[in-house]
Amino acid sequence: MSKDRSLLPVASGAEIRAALTALVRPFRVRAIAALLALVAGAAVSLVTAPLLGRIVDLVVDGRGPDAVTAPVLLLVVVAIVQGLLAVLGVALVARVGENMLADLREWFVERALGLPLQRIESAGAGDLTSRASEDVALVGEAVREAVPDFARAALTIALTLVGLAVLDWRFMVAALLAVPIQVVTARWYLRRSSPLYALQRRYAGAQQQQLLDTVGGVRTVRALGLARDHASRVRSRTEDVVTTERRVVRLQTGFFGRLNIAEFIGVAGVLTAGFLLVRSGTSSIGTASAAALYFINLFGPINAVLFLLDTAQSAAASLGRIVGVVNLPAAEAVEEPREAADGSVRVKGLGHAYVEGHDVLADVDIEVEPGARVALVGASGAGKTTLATLVAGVHRPVRGAIEIGGVPLDSHDPDRLRASVALVTQEVHVFAGPLADDLRLARAGATDAELRAALDAVGATGWVDALPQGLATEVGSGGHTLTVVQAQHLALARLVLADPLVAVLDEATAEAGSAGARSLEEAAERALAGRTGLLVAHRLTQAAGADLVVVLEAGRVVEQGTHAELLAAGGRYHGLWAAWTDSR
Amino acid sequence: MVAVTGAQVLRETVREARRGLSGAGVLLVGHQAGEALVPVLVGVVIDRAVDGGGVGSLLFWLAVLAVDFAVLSLSYRYGARAAAMASVRTDQRLRLRIADRVLDPRGGAEAGRLPGVLAGIAVSDAQRVGALGFALPAALSAVAALVVAAVALLNISVPLGLLILLGTPPLLFLVHLLGKPLERRSGPEQERAARAAGVAADLVTGVRVLKGIGAERAAVDRYRLTSRDALGATLRATGAQAWYSGTVLALNGLFLALVALVGGRLAADGAMSVGQLVSAVGLAQFLIGPLEVFGWVNGRLAQARASAARIAAVLSAPPAVGGDGEVAPIGGAVTVRGLRHGVLRDGLDLDVPAGAFVGVVASADEAVALLDCLGREVDPEEGTVEVDGVGLDARAPAAARRAVLVAGHDALLFTGSVQENVLAAAPVGADPGPAMRAAQADEVVAGLPAGASTEVGDRGTALSGGQRQRVALARAVAADPAVLVLHDPTTAVDAVTEARIADGLRAARRGRTTVVITASPALLAVADRVVLVESGRVRADGTHADLLRDDARYRELVLG
Repeated sequence: MSKDRSLLPVASGAEIRAALTALVRPFRVRAIAALLALVAGAAVSLVTAPLLGRIVDLVVDGRGPDAVTAPVLLLVVVAIVQGLLAVLGVALVARVGENMLADLREWFVERALGLPLQRIESAGAGDLTSRASEDVALVGEAVREAVPDFARAALTIALTLVGLAVLDWRFMVAALLAVPIQVVTARWYLRRSSPLYALQRRYAGAQQQQLLDTVGGVRTVRALGLARDHASRVRSRTEDVVTTERRVVRLQTGFFGRLNIAEFIGVAGVLTAGFLLVRSGTSSIGTASAAALYFINLFGPINAVLFLLDTAQSAAASLGRIVGVVNLPAAEAVEEPREAADGSVRVKGLGHAYVEGHDVLADVDIEVEPGARVALVGASGAGKTTLATLVAGVHRPVRGAIEIGGVPLDSHDPDRLRASVALVTQEVHVFAGPLADDLRLARAGATDAELRAALDAVGATGWVDALPQGLATEVGSGGHTLTVVQAQHLALARLVLADPLVAVLDEATAEAGSAGARSLEEAAERALAGRTGLLVAHRLTQAAGADLVVVLEAGRVVEQGTHAELLAAGGRYHGLWAAWTDSR
Repeated sequence: MVAVTGAQVLRETVREARRGLSGAGVLLVGHQAGEALVPVLVGVVIDRAVDGGGVGSLLFWLAVLAVDFAVLSLSYRYGARAAAMASVRTDQRLRLRIADRVLDPRGGAEAGRLPGVLAGIAVSDAQRVGALGFALPAALSAVAALVVAAVALLNISVPLGLLILLGTPPLLFLVHLLGKPLERRSGPEQERAARAAGVAADLVTGVRVLKGIGAERAAVDRYRLTSRDALGATLRATGAQAWYSGTVLALNGLFLALVALVGGRLAADGAMSVGQLVSAVGLAQFLIGPLEVFGWVNGRLAQARASAARIAAVLSAPPAVGGDGEVAPIGGAVTVRGLRHGVLRDGLDLDVPAGAFVGVVASADEAVALLDCLGREVDPEEGTVEVDGVGLDARAPAAARRAVLVAGHDALLFTGSVQENVLAAAPVGADPGPAMRAAQADEVVAGLPAGASTEVGDRGTALSGGQRQRVALARAVAADPAVLVLHDPTTAVDAVTEARIADGLRAARRGRTTVVITASPALLAVADRVVLVESGRVRADGTHADLLRDDARYRELVLG
């Protein structure tokens, strides 16, 4: 797709921090308690090594076996207190984190669904969808898995350094000898990891997509004899995956290899410090042992912190993309909104261009009585879909005026606009969940009887009743798969439930087949009963039954009238109809 | 198709990867042994150097420690690389085998499996079997670590060694038991959390539909309920999770206290040195790692077995059609005799002379049954389909499809440019122009940013339905088969364009046999002859104009 899209914004570091502050505010007491519990837990766990050192000292001093009992009992107390603090800390961190996460995702969905369609389309629908799926999932995973581990490991490291300093500051200095290597390693790793993991995800996605294409399109592949081509496509996608995997494992083993060097330097440093301190009499062997044990126990947390830096980095990037949407301004409210009086539509001097200077629609005038049926006829690119979306208020026209029920589109309350004019497009989407819930999106609180009436109105009762659990059947992604025709039936049933004064239909689908297309035409006809209908006609039979046929060519209305009038006029419409009915 | 079992798939997998696996195994053994020696050597340094030794002995033992680090680090680096490559190569081999089976011209692998499920088997199940590439060497190295640690511990002190070696497995088992109910409970709860994320993505994907009918508010309210429900479930799970991690931490601490008690008393009695005590404590902590690996490997094996069984089922799926002749068609005369299949129950007879352009009007189900037989997706239950007097079933499936190209209305476009798609099945060096013009795909290209080089996206999603349909039709025309069978090629196309396509198609296929199954008057009007099929037999036969005039049923079907 073209690159000159205006992508949705990404929040800056300051904006992310502000959003996080706002998110944590309702839970600040619990957040502080969580932090205290984690710090206390890490502090208590640090008592273990000196206690073991104490045992060593008792042994060296030859105090006899029973002297060991006291420090061992303290170890028991440490174990239990540490466990209890962990329970508290983990529970509180999860509680705060999950609550913030829930608030964040709800903010996001509310703002995302509130964006004007024009804004979503100019960014490309994929941008918003990937923020809703990948970014929300990534931040969720980070909150659930990375944040607690990261916090605990970081605290352990910080407090261990404190612990070493308490034993003797020189132990801490010795341990810090490992830090330069760790810093260099972390920077080396982070520079490479994010782009590489992004590449890995992209190739994995491409492989999945290729397999879906090949498997889902296997009939097409067979019919056209493309098996060899597809086998090599799959092979090259899997080869990409293998190649990146090799790079990933090289990066990770290189990372851990460098950390091994740091580990050795730290251990050797602490042991040497112990050697020197014991020799000069400043420190006991027990203290030196405790210091060594401290440092050995740091291997795990250090590896965890450095390895998780990458997750933290990508979670922060995802957070930026989510907060970017959350911070978008809400739609402006209209001053003194007015309600449509009836289902009349008046289009006057309408012109539109997506790119300045390239008119796709010009000088369009149409008057539609309430309850009338209008068919838009014309070649693709003639402006039918543009006209339909303008009348539905999805895009704002460059020139001219559109009135629904005597009220200009701009003067409608945005929240109430869809009660006046609704739009059903080619896009087929079945919402995941019970079929009844899908329908209730159009009219919350509709009774089962109302839902059935709507389904009946579009002729969908038959297949709905044949579903395993009828209205309660799970449909959409992860549920029962509906055919394209069934999905369009649902779209029309939603329209019936939404019950607008004016309905705009642009819903032909290639996948439906001619029998399906016919049944959809009938369903659309019934869904339009009692309201004004503006439909993009794909079959001339739809136009034949309409009250007004509008023939468009290159963005202009070239003919307008009833089916009979246009046949009599002998113009373009007549030519089309003749092609249908005559043999040539 | 040779039937294979899951166990065979696993055996073959291990056999094919044996070199990588054994190399990785040896190296990872070295790594674990080295890791086990770290606490031992730290103890030795304390005994020999810190506890009153000289600088020389400190340097010597630190050098030994350095060598140990070098060995463990390098063997991990190369062992992990070997294991990862063994794993990912195995994964790839299986994936390609599945793809090859699916793509086999005889078909049958996709029967009864949704595309998503089949792709899932090729991705996730292959990955789970491939994961053995890491799991098997890891298990081997864990055994090695266990042995090294055991020898070291028993060397330090037999009673303390036995306490640690015999005490650790029950400790881990206890942890496992504690975790079990959590695992059972957390499954459904994680599912609900994942659902919240899924619903968000689903609503955003359908945002245009929601906005079309003004359902944003209802959707946000719905989402809030799902999100709160998920939150409740996760919070319940985190409570259990918190107790679990707290208990595990406390248990480990208590075990350490026990080791310190026994070890401390033994050292105080003079049965072992303080350095050995430090080593023993370090080893007790270290052992938890390799022992956990066993539990992990066990889980992986169970997964791999289940996945291998699913893979084997795909590989062993019986073919849908057979045959192996290579008879090329000459003129392209199609003769159908007494065809019975699915809803076609009455023995259909159909004659399409070589080079004719024939329209067929049939119900959706009948059309599908007829197309399946013509495209050799299935062999008919009864009756024959012949091209130039030779039965389709006397030809290999791929040869039959070269003679008769069936272009379904749901034909997919594949990733690539418009031009690549149009030429996908065309003879080498063919000019895409005429086919594109015939299908009005040149109009599509004129409106695209990069013309014929525009990428169509996954499954052509960068194009609209009508654009996709025209590109797919151009592809079928460019393939230039002896017999072209089209099903509803213009349903997503406006009436003006449809009329132009009808004329273009007619001209492009002049002299070549063409069958169009459709109810579109524009296409039927250009046919030499139209056949109306009802209840599995030919009900009427004539030109479009004649049938419109004389046959009320026909009129209702195509103009109704």
